[in-house]
Amino acid sequence: MLKSPKFIATIIVIVAMALLPLGVGGYVLGLLTLAYYYGVISMAWDLLFGFAGEVNFGPTFLVGTGAYAAAMLNYYAGWSIAACLACGGLAAVIGGLILAIPALRLSGPYFGLVTLVAVLILQNIIVLFAGTTGGEIGLSVPDVLAIDPVTNYWYALGFMVISGALLCGYAYSPVGLILQATGQDAVEASALGFNVTKHKLAAFCVSALFSGLAGGMLIFYLGTVSVGTVVDLTIAVQVIIAAVLGGRRTIIGAAIGSIFLIGAGEILRPLGQLSTFVVSAVALAVILFFPGGFLSLLQRREGAQ
Amino acid sequence: MSATSGERAVRAMLEVSGLTKRFGGLVAVKDIGFSINGGEILGLIGPNGSGKSTVMKCIMGIEKPNAGTVKLEGQDIAGWPAHRIARAGIGLVFQHARPLHRQTVLEHIILALLPDSLWLLTADRKVRAQAEQIAARVGLQDVMHRLPRTLPFADLRRLELAKAVARNPKVVLVDEPFAGLTVGEVADFSALIASFRAEGHAVLLVDHNVKGVAALVDRVLAMYLGEYVAEGTADEVMRNETVRRVYIGGKIETAARPPREDKDRTPLLDVRGLSVLYGKAQALEDVSIHVGEGEFVSVVGLNGAGKTTLFNAISGLVGSAAGTINWRGESLAGRTPAAIARGGIVQCPESRELFGDLSVRENLDLGGQHNPPAEARRQIDWLFGLFPILQERQGQAARTLSGGEQQMLAIARALMMHPKLLILDEPTLGLAPVILELLSKALTLLRQTTDITILLGEQNVTFALPHADRVYVLEHARIVWEGNPARFAEEAGAGYL
Amino acid sequence: MIGLQILIDGFAISSLYALGAIGFTLIFGVSGVLNLSHGGLMVIAAVVAWLVAGTYGMGPYIGALAGVVAGLIAAFITYFVVVRPIQNSRSIREVEKEIFILTATLLWGIMLQEVVAYFFTDTPKTVPPLLSGVVNLLGVRTPSNEIVTAVISWLAIGLLWLLVNRTRRGKTLLAASINPRGLTLLGFELSSVYLLVWAIYGVLAGLAGVLLGAFLGVSSNSAGLLTASAFSIVVLGGLGSVSGSLIAAYVVGYLETITAYLISPSIRTVPALLLLVLVVYLRPQGLLGRR
Repeated sequence: MLKSPKFIATIIVIVAMALLPLGVGGYVLGLLTLAYYYGVISMAWDLLFGFAGEVNFGPTFLVGTGAYAAAMLNYYAGWSIAACLACGGLAAVIGGLILAIPALRLSGPYFGLVTLVAVLILQNIIVLFAGTTGGEIGLSVPDVLAIDPVTNYWYALGFMVISGALLCGYAYSPVGLILQATGQDAVEASALGFNVTKHKLAAFCVSALFSGLAGGMLIFYLGTVSVGTVVDLTIAVQVIIAAVLGGRRTIIGAAIGSIFLIGAGEILRPLGQLSTFVVSAVALAVILFFPGGFLSLLQRREGAQ
Repeated sequence: MSATSGERAVRAMLEVSGLTKRFGGLVAVKDIGFSINGGEILGLIGPNGSGKSTVMKCIMGIEKPNAGTVKLEGQDIAGWPAHRIARAGIGLVFQHARPLHRQTVLEHIILALLPDSLWLLTADRKVRAQAEQIAARVGLQDVMHRLPRTLPFADLRRLELAKAVARNPKVVLVDEPFAGLTVGEVADFSALIASFRAEGHAVLLVDHNVKGVAALVDRVLAMYLGEYVAEGTADEVMRNETVRRVYIGGKIETAARPPREDKDRTPLLDVRGLSVLYGKAQALEDVSIHVGEGEFVSVVGLNGAGKTTLFNAISGLVGSAAGTINWRGESLAGRTPAAIARGGIVQCPESRELFGDLSVRENLDLGGQHNPPAEARRQIDWLFGLFPILQERQGQAARTLSGGEQQMLAIARALMMHPKLLILDEPTLGLAPVILELLSKALTLLRQTTDITILLGEQNVTFALPHADRVYVLEHARIVWEGNPARFAEEAGAGYL
Repeated sequence: MIGLQILIDGFAISSLYALGAIGFTLIFGVSGVLNLSHGGLMVIAAVVAWLVAGTYGMGPYIGALAGVVAGLIAAFITYFVVVRPIQNSRSIREVEKEIFILTATLLWGIMLQEVVAYFFTDTPKTVPPLLSGVVNLLGVRTPSNEIVTAVISWLAIGLLWLLVNRTRRGKTLLAASINPRGLTLLGFELSSVYLLVWAIYGVLAGLAGVLLGAFLGVSSNSAGLLTASAFSIVVLGGLGSVSGSLIAAYVVGYLETITAYLISPSIRTVPALLLLVLVVYLRPQGLLGRR
């Protein structure tokens, strides 16, 4: 099996990432911290798209539900960060179930549309109850994970590594194999004796859990929760683009894509407003010319050797 | 793998009765019943659209039957979701499966061995060993670590069988077991399917015709247009009058026709050494046919022999792997299907491809759009003479027409284009005998009044032969016989069904 | 009084929605493409009209014309640079093309939006109206431009109807949406049918953008919302159904106007969104299904 060299390479990369604070400043670490959290959301999205075969256009519905649940419990009830995160994750799962149980009956663009509309509705609700949620401006949470950027960086890295390991473990386990079969051809999977709905729903819950947790971590890092950081459709688009760029059906590719997106946005910052344009153009070019994403380029090289 | 069939055969393992399935207004399956014992193979045969696949899907739970029972060892499973039916002991070998891209052959077999649980987070060593055994049994031992996309077609089919073996179902349903396989591979697969029987499984083979499965099956049930036609041994069914009428069209008659004097001229259409692949399945192999100006050529062959593929290759709808297609001495390579149609080769496909929501008149007008309006109007008038019913129905939406009327519309629409060569693919499919006579008369009239050239693809020999100047027999993707219709009965007719 | 006001305002906005959505549904019905850069095209058209009419001072008519032409050009670029390469791609599997086209047009829409934001900032721009002034309509003071918007929208929709149902070229569009293979067999090149339908789409989207810019004003940020509203209307009416989209446009337009007047402008889109979710759950084929 090819597993061991890959595994060693992954460990080396993670160690290098952990040692990064020795070499780079707080600003870069701050960017990477964000990239890691969004990376987890992208990975959770890839579990749904790449393995369960469902296009969720509204990953931020799950993220936002988790983030706002965590933030409000912290703000109003004064619960500890750990308890808030746990409840945020749970809230995302419940929200995800409410969305997915009816939506999974739909196919093709309809599933995508419902998930998209879910985001818009959540956004409207938050604005509507601006008195409690902080509305467009957002809500400052009393507690934060840490003040020191290095500690925050390590929290984010740890969170991403653990989430990535768990998601990969799930995706590449026998259950993940069943999940992939249901995503590829639901009729054949059910003829093999697999309850397609059960497996897809489970995947949706797992995806929701990690999205919700990531949303919670994100707001306790930023210290505020707002529509612009955890709900807005532009965030949803970024999450999807990151996963497609990195390479679908790989989980890890999603995290790589996320880091790339934030890195590219930063490098192009001198271009000002045009940076989003360039990033989108690069993403479009990758989709048109290398539909397999970054990881497929790596794999192709590996195959050629 | 010992055969202990004696005590098993007492009660039927699978018992289907009164099975009915409707799609909207269409009755796809009507009151079908049969039973299969353990250690028995039943062939369910019928041409395209006969409802045989729907029966299979109803048993598997992919479609929910509207009425009837499906009993597995006495328990009624009709209407259960597919995954429960699968767990209860029914397995289906798909004809066109879509394997996963990143999983090896062995992983596919492991998948079929897994229970339906959410908590299987680690792989079991035993399962792996079992999967390796199954791979060896179906002949995949050498390729089990390869990805499906690197495998030849026969191995992909083996993989589907392996999944069925892994599921170890009491009843195995096999959809078109031998489609796309070579003779040697057919023997391998027959042996594998026979081994299911030897182990006491009940097996249902679904196929187009008796011939393909005759050597393997214990009994055959024939269907046509959703209804039961005949049941018995393969020989009995092949001799059955109704079956012969459905397939061959009854007694073969040929009309004597003076030989045409076009021997030395360039043929209008000249197909040489044509091979077509569908993915990895060989759909046509080294096929050569030619059609002279004014000639009526019939290509006869059973469903799945490759007729439609041949016509689609001529029309440019599918690409060829090898060979040339010349039209009036010029190669058709690189022309779009639409350009080929405008160039004079007009196909009236098996699926008819009408514009269902447009009216009969609008369908015809679209066919006539390439010609000046006055000429199109003349052509319509002429066609209304040929098919008077279309004139009556000209304001009606095409999808509201009966099957026979739709076929007439499809032919008329093709004729609106003033084809030099008209390709008719299975025009008789699913039509009642009265309609066949009407169509037959129209073809005769067409031949007498115009100088049109026709290439007809048919399974119904009685329909195809009387008109033909020359006949090709297509079998298993190859041309196996060529000659004039008079010689067909003595030389090729016997082995046809 | 407010009832009448809602009636008039709702009608104008609904007509505009109908115009915006009809091209979107046409392109889906004929070529199977859900173009998520739809809002971006509308914004481009509106901004070009604003630029030509206002900044360059060419007057509202030349401006509107320039806007429509810009919409047409943008639609062609969308088709040739983004959509067609994916449709013809051999390395993307058929089943995945839908998601690729969705993602690619989404990115393309963002690019259009960012170009506008970069060169002209993201402040709202109001295109000079074709007709200024206010008329008294049954006691309600209504801007003339609102009436112009409704009239032009309906003219365009009527012309489209005539084109599709009464001309020979138009019939091929209809036929292509029902059975593209059948059309090929009759000797029509699908590629030229697609070209025509993208041209019509470009003109419609451009016109809708210009009218919207004159009626409510447009900023680069509205691109996403415009796409979402067209998408919702089209799904509500049934994907690919032109008449369904028209009805849905009025349902959504009036629902929003009523909400804005009677409850609060801040939640004007919420009831329509809830209705959409309800319809998708209960009747996924939309209000009218396929034509």
